[in-house]
Parts: sequence; structure tokens; C-alpha cells
Amino acid sequence: MALSGIEPAAVARCLGQLATGAADHAEAYFERVEEVELPSDEESPGVRARHEEGLAIRLLRGSEAWMASVDGLSREGFAEALRRVARVQPRAGYPAPELTPSSAEASEPAPEILHFPAAVRRVIREHHVAFRLRLTVRRHRRWRQVVGSRLAGGAELEVYYSFAARTAWGSFGGLLAALDAAAAAAVGRQLVAHFRSRDAVGVGRHAGVTVLGPAAAAVLVHEAVAHALETDTLARTGRPESAVGVRLAASLDVLDDPTTAPETVRRLTDDEGVPVVRRWLLREGVVEQPLADLRSARESGILAPGAGRRAGRHHGPVPRSTHLEILPSPEPVDLLADVEGGLLIPEATRGRLDPWTGRFLLEAPYARRIVGGLPADRVGPCRLAGRVSDLLGAIVGVGSEVEVAGAGWCAKGGQLLPVWARVPALRLEGVEVES
Amino acid sequence: MSLGKRLAGVAKDLAGLGMEQVELYRKRGRSRRCELEGGARTASQRAEEGWAVRAGGDRSSLFATSTTPPTSGAPWPEPDGRPLRLPDRGRPSAWSASAGFDEPLTGEKEAAALLDGIERGLDREVPGARLVSAWVEDGASESEIVNTLGVEAAWRARSAALHLEARAPEVGGVVGLDLVARSLRGFEAMGAARRLGDLLVLRRDGRPAERDRAEILLSPAVASRVLAGLAPLLVGAGARHRTPRFLDRQGRLGAEAVTVVDDGRLRGGLQAAPVDGEGVSTRETVLVEAGRWRQPLLAWWEVREPSERPSGCVGRPGWRDVPTPGPTHLYLRPDPSVRVADLVRGIGRGYYLLEVEGVGWVDLEADRFALPVCGFEVRDGGATAPLSGAWLHGPAGTFLHRVRAVARDLTFFPLAGLLGSPSLLVSGFGLEPEPPRRPVPVAPT
Repeated sequence: MALSGIEPAAVARCLGQLATGAADHAEAYFERVEEVELPSDEESPGVRARHEEGLAIRLLRGSEAWMASVDGLSREGFAEALRRVARVQPRAGYPAPELTPSSAEASEPAPEILHFPAAVRRVIREHHVAFRLRLTVRRHRRWRQVVGSRLAGGAELEVYYSFAARTAWGSFGGLLAALDAAAAAAVGRQLVAHFRSRDAVGVGRHAGVTVLGPAAAAVLVHEAVAHALETDTLARTGRPESAVGVRLAASLDVLDDPTTAPETVRRLTDDEGVPVVRRWLLREGVVEQPLADLRSARESGILAPGAGRRAGRHHGPVPRSTHLEILPSPEPVDLLADVEGGLLIPEATRGRLDPWTGRFLLEAPYARRIVGGLPADRVGPCRLAGRVSDLLGAIVGVGSEVEVAGAGWCAKGGQLLPVWARVPALRLEGVEVES
Repeated sequence: MSLGKRLAGVAKDLAGLGMEQVELYRKRGRSRRCELEGGARTASQRAEEGWAVRAGGDRSSLFATSTTPPTSGAPWPEPDGRPLRLPDRGRPSAWSASAGFDEPLTGEKEAAALLDGIERGLDREVPGARLVSAWVEDGASESEIVNTLGVEAAWRARSAALHLEARAPEVGGVVGLDLVARSLRGFEAMGAARRLGDLLVLRRDGRPAERDRAEILLSPAVASRVLAGLAPLLVGAGARHRTPRFLDRQGRLGAEAVTVVDDGRLRGGLQAAPVDGEGVSTRETVLVEAGRWRQPLLAWWEVREPSERPSGCVGRPGWRDVPTPGPTHLYLRPDPSVRVADLVRGIGRGYYLLEVEGVGWVDLEADRFALPVCGFEVRDGGATAPLSGAWLHGPAGTFLHRVRAVARDLTFFPLAGLLGSPSLLVSGFGLEPEPPRRPVPVAPT
């Protein structure tokens, strides 16, 4: 069901009719999406398969944009979208390229999702625990191609998996690049950790050393660095480019690099057809290149585009991160060493940034006290809150081992986007964690 | 090709896979949206069309959706071994659609004019105030459904939504407002500007309440949010075991003044339709009558007791979505004889809470709720001081028992389905300046 039958040159010629000004940008976004879902045992109907395809055409002129999106890939749909963006009824119909709709075909079988719940349950049993679990697993495949009036990217495919687990003590989920034995082991271990923490008492108020495991550090950096440095967030309180050069942390290197994401979700262009870049968000704690889409990059004059993402054809592009990295410490380091009475937060359920106040909240399902430099007793759900600058300023140590961790859905602005990270653990001092 | 003919072909294929019951659903929709964000304006138009097939029998089932119509001979995903039943035709009820479905969708200029009008009005209300983010969306859709048990129905929907975020000098953060109407013409620029202006002034001048317990008048916006948190006591088969712990000895879930209804065909309701997402006739279901708990809102397959009546309450927001039971228009019935002004005048010492300021929580397990709110302190029937950053809190499960009076200003909000309430005079709840902690056991220190 690959995206085929699109002739970039023919599409670009059509778009040329829209982009009449020297500074106009017109693009056509084509996509095919397939999702196969295995719901939890108790839900009916069983296997769920969703196929969709469609296109969107957008014209960008100064600070204004016009967009039209349609379901289905057809010459008529393309011409209609073009007409709606042009906002005129032409005397003669716009010539439109031939587009090949996908032939009706079944989803490629996804045996891996059929076997995954059993594999996770096996891992749980190996830890000698048992509990009622409702597990939903999905495989996501998205083909997309963006053709501009001047620039045409090739078709790209993303394949990944998501899971959602419901237990008597809460729900959680995440994204997986593969659905193999290692993924089953990781999800199983995560569920067991939640189970063993289900009745743990709260931490009360803690203000000593706090170590964030890679999964929790990924959420922190997504919320407190990436969202804070998206141009639509920055534009709410000033000019986005004025953030460049501001020190946010003592010494922290944070990058967004879609080209080094897990192989099946790696990207060469963004959803505006612009080549992606290895973007230094923070270099040694200083803001270097905020996340910009085409519109904000043009307005600023100094920001680099390439971070425009869209949840689908019916949504406009927005500046978002794809694959975040924190550069690890070059020397081997044990962040727990010599800590007595600290707190280890292995994972986070969610984070939230208030762009107006700069306040940040990280919620964790459980944590562990650190005794004698080792993880000890579990404590119940807790949260870490404060101003972004204070939290980033409290980072005093970066781990030396990076992990692919904390992948999940970003829902900012109502667009659901998969986000990935490869980060080490972080050590913070002087932040307050409370139940 | 008609939906019925298409179903015949598809059903033949799926019968061969052991699935005798087959449903075919099609939805077409179009919408226009105008958006302001960070000084940039985007006008967009969507045209959507999708199909869904749900099929099953005693031993297997599947759900497949696509933007291309299903055809006989097309390959199908391997069905899974879970049973599925579909509704039969039932008895159709008479239906006449409300007016307003045929109005053309809003044009780009009209939408932009509305947002500009709100911005101008806002500046008049609070000098220097401006919209920082806003969008207006106007949409219409047509749905059709057929199944092999004789269900055959078609219906239309039409609604518009307005989202506004504003800020002003000397006001920390932003204030937001979400409104829904049948079409864009249902929004009034000055009315929206005044409401945003009120919120900005409350945020600027309001003080958090001292810890206090007094008579409290909840506006529809606040009361509906609490009602949304109580939905697990009112909706679905799970309510059968959740609700009894909150009933008094007479089987009451609320005070005499409280009647809670769900009505999928509410006259003038934005989601009013002759049938639900499975093609089952919608109807009015009384869930709580004069305080007495009657039954939860149940879909046809959830009914167990002879006293329970099912309702067409299966939602299907889009063609991609699996039909799921939930509220349609769930509301607390207003008292047409009671004006809000009379309730305010009757308050000796208390509060009038106008809006919810952020995210709160309702914990039915712990029987507690907390909501960040703003409004006014009231003394001897008059507003005496603005209030902001206060937290309304108290017992959740017995909330409806503490309703003293119900006004006539029923208003709906897009929460989980459309939830509505008139203003409610309540007692036995507290206000706090700080967010109350959710009940979590804390380690001894």
C-alpha cells in the first residue's frame, strides 16, 4: 500500500499556479496511513484495521496561510483542494495531476501484535506476580510525501507500535520502535514495577538529590526544553529569535535529530518537505536553534526550518521535536554514588509546561528512595514542579549511558504526534518533589 | 451504489468468514476553520469521507475502516475470535430535525470578522487586552448506517465551535473560553468579549478565598464540570456497582430538586439525532428523578434488569471510531420558575462561582473533588469582592444531595458528550486558597 503514482513535477506545476508571489510558498502533502489494532481481551470487535489516504494543499503568503484537505487520492480531489486554496472560481478547471488511489487490499498481517500480549504476560509471570491486565497494541504505518512548488521530497515511511495498558491501579502507555522480545521484557518490567508500587506510601515533601532515570529525563527534556523552544510557544510572549543565546541550564547539550531516530521512524524531511537538520536546542546550556517551521523561520529571518510536523492531512504544520537527544557525560559516572536519602524517579507518566508562567510539572507513577547509593524502598505517585529555568538550573549531573527511552505521544495543541528520545539519566539538586 | 446494495455484497463475503452480522457505516463531512495564533492567520477547509465495516458472530469479529468504499471481493483483515452482536431494527421513532442544518458553512471573511469583532470588544472591556490564540470552526456532516438485521438510518449533524485565549496587561497568564453553537451565527462577538473581559478582570483583581465554608452558587460552567466528574455514577453498566454506596436510605442520589436526564433527541440539542451511532433510536432517559436514582444510562446490550430501559446512546464521533456508549445530552433539569438573580439575592454570606480556571480532579473512590474556580464573594445578596485562584472542594459522591436550588439557565458544554446544568445553589462545600491534596497515604516521617 506504499505511496506511489505521484509525479512531483506535475504536482509542482499545479502548485506554481498558486504561488504567484516571489515569497509565496505552496505545498501539497500526500499521505497513506494504516493502523492495525488488537484491543484488550475483553473488548469487541476484535482486530481493527484502519486505512486512509488523502492530501492537503497549503499556500503560505506572509503571515497568512490557506489550506484545504480532502480524503482520498484523486485528480478531482486535488483540483478541488487547489481551487479552495486559490479562493477563486477559475474560468477553466485547474489542470491536476493523475493520482493513483491505493487498491483495496488487506492490511499486511501483523502477527507480532497478536503475540505481544502473551509475551508481556510471560514476562510478568517470570517475576512471580499476577494481576488483571488489559493491554491494547497497535501497529502504525504512515507513508507521506510533500511536494512544493520549488522543492520536492521523496516518499517516506514511518513504522512503529504503541501500547496502552490498563490495570486496577492506573493506565499508562508508550511507543515502541519494534515489537520484539526486548520490547515485551521492557513493558513487562514496567508493569511489574507499577504493580509493586501500587500501595506504596507517598513521599510527602522531598528536597534533596533527585535522579531522573532516562525515561523520566526524556519527558523532562521534551516538556521543559523542546516545548519551551518551539516557535509557536515562544511567539506567545515575544519574538522567537530573541530566545537564541539565552542560558537555560548550567551545562546541558540537547539536540533534536530526526535522522538518528530509531531506524523505522527515521526522517530525512519534515512534514513541510524541508530537509531536517541536526538541531542544537541547547549547547552547553545556551539556546542555539529553537524548533521552527517554515512560517516562523521566514518571519524570523535567522531560524532554520525543518521541524514542521503535522498529525495528518487535516492539520496544519506546527513546530515540534521528533527525536530528542541529551549528550551523555564523556566520562563514566554513577549518578547514585554517595547519595543518601535521595529519590530516584525511573519514569514519568506525563509532563506539562505553562508557556505563560514558565512553570513545569512532571508527574511520576512511583519513585524509589536512594539509600547508600542504591535504589531502595518504593514511594507512591509524586510530582516535580517548578519554573523551567530553576529545574534546568538544578541539573548537576548527566549520566554516561544513553538509552532509547520515554517515547510517547505529544498532544500539544490537539495534534497527536509520536516523539522519541535517546537520553541518559540526570541528577538534580535542590528541587522539590511532593506526593 | 446505495449503502444497502454495498452491504449485500460485503455481507456475502464476510458470511464466508463466519460473520453473519454485518454493519456498514458511512460519514461525509466538511468544515471550515479560521485560526489566529501568534499574529498569524490560517484559513482551512476540510472535506472528509470514510467508511466503517463492523462484522461478527458468535466466535469472531472485526472492524475495518477506510477512505475508499468497501467492495465485494475485497480482502479483509483476519477476524479475531471475539463474539459480536449488532442491534436489530427495533421500533423507529418519529423524528423532525431542528432548523439550521441547511445554512451554508461560514465563509473565511465571516469567521475573520467574528474574531476581529471579539478582539475589538475585548479591548473596549479591558484596555490593552488581546486575543493570543483563537479559532472558530463550522462543520456539517451526513451519516448513514445499515446492517444485516434491518437497521437502516440516515442523519445529519451541524455545529460550530469557538475557542478563545486572551491576555491583558497586569494579568498573569491567559484566560480561555470555549463555546459551541449550531452555526457561527450562534456566536455573538460582544457577548464573548464581555465574558473574556470578566475573566481577565477577575484574574487581575480577584484574591484567593480564605478557607471558608458557606452557601455557594455554581454557574452552569462550574456545575457542568462537576457533573462531568460524576458521569461514572450515571453512565454505563459499571454504575450499578459504583452508585449504591452514595444512595441514602430512601435510595436517593440527590436532593429533591435534582433530576438528571440523558436525551439523544433533545429539541434544539447540538447532537440531537433520531438514532445513535449504531442506528438505535434515541430517546429521553431519566436517570435521577427528584433525587431518586432510577437507572444508569445503558446501551441495548447492557440492560440486565426488567426495570432497566436501554437507550440509543452509542457515540460515534467519526468513521474511524469504534462505537462506544456514552452521554448524548446529559443534563440536570432546570427549574423554569427560578431566576439566577433570585438565588444570588437569597445568599446572606457566600460565593457565586462563575468559571473553572484550570484542571481539577474528581476521585469517586476517595469521595472527593477539587476544582480551581473564580467568581465573587457575596454578602446580603450582592457581590462584594472578586475571587480568583480559589479551590472548590468537598465530597463528590454526595454532591447532588447538597443541591438546595436549581435555576432555569440550562447551558451545555462540550465535555464527555454534551453535558449541561443550570446554576445550582449548594451547601456543605469548602473553598481553599491552595489546591487540596488528592488522598494518597503519606509515609510517617
